[in-house]
Amino acid sequence: FPPAFQPVPRNPIVLDLAYNLIEFPSLDSRMKKDKKGFISRFWG
Amino acid sequence: MAPKPKEKAKASAVATPAISIEDLFTSLNRHIQRSEYEQAVKVSDQILAAAPGDEDAIRCKVVALVKADSIEEALVTIKDCSKKGSVDLSFFKAYCLYRQNKLEEALESLKGQEGSTELMLLESQILYRLGKMDASVDIYQKLPKSTIDSLEINLVAGLVSAGRSSEVQGTLDSL
Repeated sequence: FPPAFQPVPRNPIVLDLAYNLIEFPSLDSRMKKDKKGFISRFWG
Repeated sequence: MAPKPKEKAKASAVATPAISIEDLFTSLNRHIQRSEYEQAVKVSDQILAAAPGDEDAIRCKVVALVKADSIEEALVTIKDCSKKGSVDLSFFKAYCLYRQNKLEEALESLKGQEGSTELMLLESQILYRLGKMDASVDIYQKLPKSTIDSLEINLVAGLVSAGRSSEVQGTLDSL
């Protein structure tokens, strides 16, 4: 005592990797741009 | 006396503000950044009410529904849109069918598409669930190595389930 550890067979793990590649399209060109222009006037 | 009507016109303009599509996309983008997917769906619907068939809004809505785990709703949206427009949503459709375990239908939806990474990953996962282990492993081995996080986990699972455990070590070393 204690008994020795023994390996146990188990089903292999499969991850849903495709889920990670479901992404939103870029919306940069669909939003207002004047804000950026305003800031870059000071910092640009 | 003269300025009065002007003020009235201003007041009514404020009372019924016309939200521009750009503003809606800004709001949509903010919800996406904050992972507020239910809100993102609502704003996408607002955009689609103003601009029916807008491709970005449709894609955002479908992705937000998937991320919010509303797979059935996502499928309904995809079916509605593919009747009306020309937006290609077949990858999303295949993914939703996969999540519902409608595996043959999912494979069908992937047919005839270009072999992008996400398509290949999904196809491999579908084949694994169908018990076609060798075909599943073949796809993983065609993918560019070490570009996808945790790919080795699925690859090893495929090899073990295909009865090819002896190949595991060699495959891992080659990654």
